[in-house]
Parts: sequence; structure tokens; C-alpha cells
Amino acid sequence: MPADQVAKADKADKAAREQEELLSATFTPKLNDNIAIIDALLGKSADLQQREFRLCGNPDFPGVCFFVDGLADTLVIEAILKALIVFGEDLHRDPAAIPSAEELRTTLLVNASAKTATRMKDGIAAVVSGDTLLLVQGMKEALIVSSKGWKDRGVEEPSAENNVRGPRDGFNESIRTNTAHVRRRIKDPQLRFDPMIVGTRSQTDINIAYIQDLVKEGLVDEVKRRLRGIKIDAILESGYIEELIEDAPLSPFNTIQSTERPDKVASALLEGRVAIFIDNTPVVLIVPTFFWQFIQAPDDYYNRYWVGSFFRCVRYLALIISLVLPSIYVMLVSFHHEMIPTALALTIASGREVVPFPVILEALMLEIAFELMREAGLRMPKPIGQAVSIVGSLIIGQAAVQAGLVSPFMVIVIAITEISSFAIPSYSSSLALRIFRFPLLIASGVFGLLGFAVVFFALLLHAMSIRSFGESYLAPASPFRPGDQRDMAIRMPIWMMNERPDFAQDSQRLGENQMPQPPKGGTT
Amino acid sequence: MNMKLKMQRVSQQARTSNQQSKFQITNGMFIAMMVNLIFVKAIGVTQGVLARSIGQDMWITTMLGMFQGMVVIYITYLVLRKTPDLDFMSLAQRLLGKWFGKLIALVIFAFFMAGFGPVMLTFVYHIQDYFLPEAPLILFFVAPLLVGALGCYYGLEVMARLALVGMLFIFLLNVLIIIGSTNEFDIRNLLPVLENGFPRTFMASLNYDTDWAFATMLAAIVMPSLKNAGKIGGTTGLIGIGASGLLTMIWSILEGAVLSSEVTSQYTVSCMKLARNAHIGTFLQRYEMIMIALYSIPILFEVMFFIYATSVCATRIFGLKSNRSMIPIVSVILGTYGYWIVGDHYRAINYLEETWPRIALPIAFGLPVLLLILRLMLGKKLNKQS
Repeated sequence: MPADQVAKADKADKAAREQEELLSATFTPKLNDNIAIIDALLGKSADLQQREFRLCGNPDFPGVCFFVDGLADTLVIEAILKALIVFGEDLHRDPAAIPSAEELRTTLLVNASAKTATRMKDGIAAVVSGDTLLLVQGMKEALIVSSKGWKDRGVEEPSAENNVRGPRDGFNESIRTNTAHVRRRIKDPQLRFDPMIVGTRSQTDINIAYIQDLVKEGLVDEVKRRLRGIKIDAILESGYIEELIEDAPLSPFNTIQSTERPDKVASALLEGRVAIFIDNTPVVLIVPTFFWQFIQAPDDYYNRYWVGSFFRCVRYLALIISLVLPSIYVMLVSFHHEMIPTALALTIASGREVVPFPVILEALMLEIAFELMREAGLRMPKPIGQAVSIVGSLIIGQAAVQAGLVSPFMVIVIAITEISSFAIPSYSSSLALRIFRFPLLIASGVFGLLGFAVVFFALLLHAMSIRSFGESYLAPASPFRPGDQRDMAIRMPIWMMNERPDFAQDSQRLGENQMPQPPKGGTT
Repeated sequence: MNMKLKMQRVSQQARTSNQQSKFQITNGMFIAMMVNLIFVKAIGVTQGVLARSIGQDMWITTMLGMFQGMVVIYITYLVLRKTPDLDFMSLAQRLLGKWFGKLIALVIFAFFMAGFGPVMLTFVYHIQDYFLPEAPLILFFVAPLLVGALGCYYGLEVMARLALVGMLFIFLLNVLIIIGSTNEFDIRNLLPVLENGFPRTFMASLNYDTDWAFATMLAAIVMPSLKNAGKIGGTTGLIGIGASGLLTMIWSILEGAVLSSEVTSQYTVSCMKLARNAHIGTFLQRYEMIMIALYSIPILFEVMFFIYATSVCATRIFGLKSNRSMIPIVSVILGTYGYWIVGDHYRAINYLEETWPRIALPIAFGLPVLLLILRLMLGKKLNKQS
């Protein structure tokens, strides 16, 4: 390692050691010493506020409170100070006897959450989380009073997971609001939210949610083990966690489900799965995950089972089309045109008459053009994005066909493919399917049926080999689990889905004979 | 005590070298693996061979072959019944020592290597002749071997699950061929029955025996991974051979009744002729590509299992712990051998009809019987050891 890098590393080590020493210090009765340590640790940061006061109005008991402006609610802080300065005078008749932190907490502070702290580390963590740290001269301990009060985004409908029937609320960036959404839906005392902090610098709050008597034995421990194993400076979004705990880190398949919908999380918990809430993101992770869940939508369960099942089948069709339609078209037109019915073959041939490119190139050009338009439409401000989509899809598409650069049939194929990919409810997995489409397309265009079969089966084998937190990714199709087929290809009526999925601890979900049986001859 | 430890080590080796220490296959998977192995070649090229030797009675020869297969698979089960955690190689090692175990591993390795010729012949002549006549031959070896090696690398669990999907595809394939062929079905083409007499028909069934031979050798290797192999191994094996026979007979009956045995006998890959002939209505005049897509999982599974079986045998021969290191080596060996066989059409057909039965049948019939005799003779020794 070069000398300058060694020096840099030594300096960083030294700074980290010093910080660790300061953090491990305990609060002392000397107020100034405590303030000096806090200053050394937090510096003179613009958002850090330091407010002096006199406990019980007594000049012998100077005190100071620390809080972060913007994170803490100033009204709460004012109420705390009022209690300490004004009301304290009545309670402590002997002004010479300094009250303990515990005494203040139990007799003066009416806040819902207040606790004493002895270690500097706890005090600093509280301040940077939005709580208020109170220190008084002569007091051996500090007081931490909850005063979190920053501006949250309101509860809105998730933009990427729309539904027609069902709840409209979505998660936001506050972990506590998000856990409350789920608690409102499941009032079972067995519902647990185990806290954890990840990220040495971001100190991101994480909650592991599960229903104690439903979750498979060992699953929560495994989730915790993986989360504890994360050594990272900061977690800025759930994607960080996802990539650090997934089973198949090199695979393009998503082995962890993510959602912004509380009803989806509640449903997953009731199936015996585990949800991971991460502060500062509306996206909650769910494990274990099965491939087929990406095809399922909440509407399947909110609409009647006939409708739910039909649209689920439509989505399966969309999955197949979005994955293989361009490859099959290219393969047939390039190598196996004798397989196309004659009338159709003639139509395709007449459309391709003026196109100077091979079919594979034509397909790749259109696919790439579509990806460009999609990406541009996504990044641009909304009104311009719509304009780009219209220009791209209508004007450029039409012009390309008229100029003889692409055949009309190819435009139709790619358009159907792209529409199908949008019919898949999980946006992240529809992106993965887009990635798979390209090797399939190239293999089909170069080697025909053989290329298609090889890439397709390599993908299938890979998907079969993947696990998500111990469960086979393609279950319950492979391995085939007969009991779980009630909610696989089609969605059976609710009154028939009397058992939870195979991996849940407690299987019974419904009582006996739940099929509605109205009295014969109408109501009496 | 030493002997006991040694025997435990042998069982453990049987499990670890097959990558099956944790995973146990279900009876459904076991049946599916057998059906996949038998079906591909049985409908692909065997029916043409049968038509050439026995005419319209090829469905009877298939049925007779199926019964013989059921007997042999039950013998295989009897060999392993009392020691269900052992495969043929481990059992042989227990019976007569390390070198006998290696010898049996070598015999099974030779069986699968020799069998790879007909398997690749089936694969290549289906895809190259009917779909990609201008593509170089090497491509038809590299592609399936790559997929096969990948599946083999993922282990027995993934292979067994793929076999289940393959079995579903086989059902769909049969449904499609029945729908597409019933219009031309003429039962008179199957008459007269037993025209060549029973003895000749029975002798012709030896050609189908070479197909179920794959399944008995599969059982010889994979049976220890079957859940409750000691109890259900026999029934499962019988169902596997029976189901394969019935699924194959659908093709032999259709080929005889729709194409006639004369036409069937003119083709190396007679099933493709039947598939080309099938049509649904007037718009869908040809859909053999859909059928070949359904056929591709079983055939790729077959290639995969051959790599797996030879790699496990090679692992035993060289005393290695895991078969993974042997996968690329055996893939190259199998590929080279298969290329040599398939490269020359006349050699390939001669090998299929003459050489391969001479290799397959003695091993398929002989090995289970030999081990059963040894087991009966040395049963006390085995019981003492366990």
C-alpha cells in the first residue's frame, strides 16, 4: 500500500478510536465536562441546538438541553422546559437538594416516553434521532425525552402498485407510521416488531415483523442473523438490505419481495412470512419469496374468485408473452418459417419485403428504442415524459415503418410484449424479465430453436436451483405442493382456502364449512 | 468396530458423492426421472427399429418389453431393499471389497457412456434434420452438454424437479399427438396381430429393453436418494416402468395405425414423421415445433442424467468426495464419444440397432441378477456388517 494511503488509514483509525473512547464515556455530575464531550462528538453543527435553563429556577442547578432542529418538535421541547423550570419550583421545596434524573422523570415530565441514560453513546444516539437530551449540573445521569417531530410525507396510494378495489393507503418514509399501518390491520398480540439498527453511520432503524405463532421455526433467527451480518456505513434504501441478505446475489431473479402496500405485508405476515421495515423508505421487504408471487395482485383476493382467477391467468399469459414472444417471432421468421401457417407467413413476408435488416437486428433495434423511451419517460418531468412517450410510440414508430426500417408486424410484436410486461404487478420483477428477454432474443436469432431451448432451460434450471430463505423459489409449482395449489395458477374461493401455505407453522386458517349456505326458499 | 466404521464411511460416500446428503427425492420425482429417461429414445428412434423388425406389432413388442423391464426393476429393488442407503457401487464394495465396487462403477460408467451415442443420435437427428439442417454438428453437442452440465452442477434436487416438469410436458405432448392424429387413425393398419409369431415378437422387444435399461441403471444409482426406498422402491419402480411403457405405446399404436408400419420403418426418427403429419383443423397444419419444445425438457434431462451418472461413477472409480469436479471431464468424454457415433449416419444406425443392444442388455439384465445372487450368497456377511 502506498505511504500516503497508509497515513490516511492510520489517521482514520486514530479518529475512530478517539470517537469510540468519547462515546464510551459516562455522564458525570460536572455539566461542563459533559458539554465538552458532546461538543467534541457532534461539533458545532448548524442544526444542533443547545438550550440552557435553570432547574426549578434555581441558579445553582444550571442545565442544558440538546436537540436537532428539524428533527425535534419545538412545542414538545417547550413543554419539557416549562415543566423543569416552572413546575419544578413547587415540587422541590429544598432548593439545595439536587433531584435525581429518575426523580425528574417520574415526578416532572409528563411525556409518553422519557428515560434516563448513563452512557454518552445513548445520549448522542437519542439526539441524532430527534429526541432531546437533558443535562443538569450535579446530576449523575442524563434524561432522554422523546421529541421526534419532523415532517412526514402523507399517506398516499403507492404509485407503482395500483389496484381498483381495495385499500388505497401506502407506506411512507417513517418506519413507525408504516408499522402502525400493519398493526391496524392485525391486532393479534402475537404480532411482533423486533428492532435492530444497521449502518455504522446512518444508524438506520429496522423492524423485523412476524406473527410469533405462524412463522416457521428458525426463519426469524435466520433473518436476524443475516441482518446482523451486515457491515456497512449507511442504509439509504431497502435495496441496500435486499442485496446484502438475498440468497442468490448473482442471480437476476428477485428472491426478496418488496412492496409499498400495507395490505400486502399484512397478508404475507398472515401466511407466516417475515417483513423487514426500514426507516426512511416506503418499501418493505418480505421473505421468503416465491416467483409466482410477482404475478399475484391484491385485486385477485378483493374481487370475486372468478374475476381474480381470470385476471391472474391473463397475467400468466402476459408473463409468457413478455418473456418469449419476440424470441419466438425472430426464431420462426429467421429459421423455421415453415412452421408459420401459410396465410400468416405471407402477411409477414409482405411486411418485411422492404426491410433491409435481418429480423434479429430489427427486433433488437425496436427493443432498445423502447427501453430508451421508457427510461427517458421515467426520468423526465411528468408532462415532458408523456410527450416523449407519444412522440416515441406513435410518431417514430409510424415513421420507422413507413421508411421501411422495421416491419409493421415487428412493431406489433414488440408493442404487445411491452404492454404484457407492464401487466406484471411487480415492477422490479418485470424489469428482470426485460433483462432475460435479450439473451433469449439473441440466442433465438443466432441459433434458432436450439439457442432458444438452451437459454430458456438454463434459465429454468437456474430458477429451480434458487432458494429464498430456505424455501424453493419456484414452489409450490416445483417442488409441487398440492395443498398450495389453491392459490397458484388460479385463486380458489376464500372459503376453500382453509389452510395457510405449506411453510407456515400453524396451517389452519378458516373454520369448518365456511361456504355460504343461505336458507332454502330465501330468508325467513 | 473397525468394520462398522468402514461401512458407515461407504454409505456416507454413497450419499456425498451423489450430492444427496440432505435431499431425498419423492416417489413422484423418481417415477418422473424414469419416464423421462425411457420415453425420449423409445418414441424417438426405437419405434422405427421395431417397425423394421416386427412391422405393425411394435406396440406389442413395447408392451412385452415393458413387462420385462418391470421384472428387472423389481430385481433391482430386491438387491437394494435391505440396504436402501446403498447404491449398486456401494453395495458391491460391501459385498466383495473396494475393487469390486470400483469394477461395478466402471461397468455402469461404460453403460452410460455407450448409451450416450443413441441418446445424442436421438437429439441430433430430431433437431438438426428437422429444424436446423445447415447448423454445424458440434453445436448440437456443445449446447445440450452445457445445459446438462449446469443442471448436473445444481445437483440431483434440481434434476429431479426438472424431470417432474418434463413429465408434465410428456403428457401434453401425448395429448397433442392424439388430438392431431385421430383423424387419420385406421385400426386396420395394426392388423393382423402377431403376424410374425410370438417368439419373433418377443425377440424384437429386446430393442425396447435397451430403453428401460436406462431406468434400471438410474435406479441403481439414485435409489438411495428415494424417500423410504426400502419400502416403496419396488412399487415406485414398477409404476415408473409401467407408465413409461404406456406413454410409449400410445406412439407405437399411433405410428402403426396412422402412418402404417411400412412408412414408420422408413424413418430413423419416426416420431417426427407422425408429428409432422399431425394437424388441428385447417389453420394449424403443422405444429411439430410445439411438440419438439415439449420434447426438449425430457431430452435435455436425459443428457443431464447421463452426465450425472457418469460423473458419479467416475467419482467412485477415482475415490473422490464430490462428483462436481468430474462433471466437465465426463462432459468432454461423453461429447467426444457421442460426436464420433453421430457424425457418421451409417455408423450411428448400425450402433443403434446392433452394437448398443449388445452392450446394454447384458448389463441391464446381468448386473441386477449378479448382485442379487451375491447378496443372497453373502447376505449374512452384509447383515453382520450393518
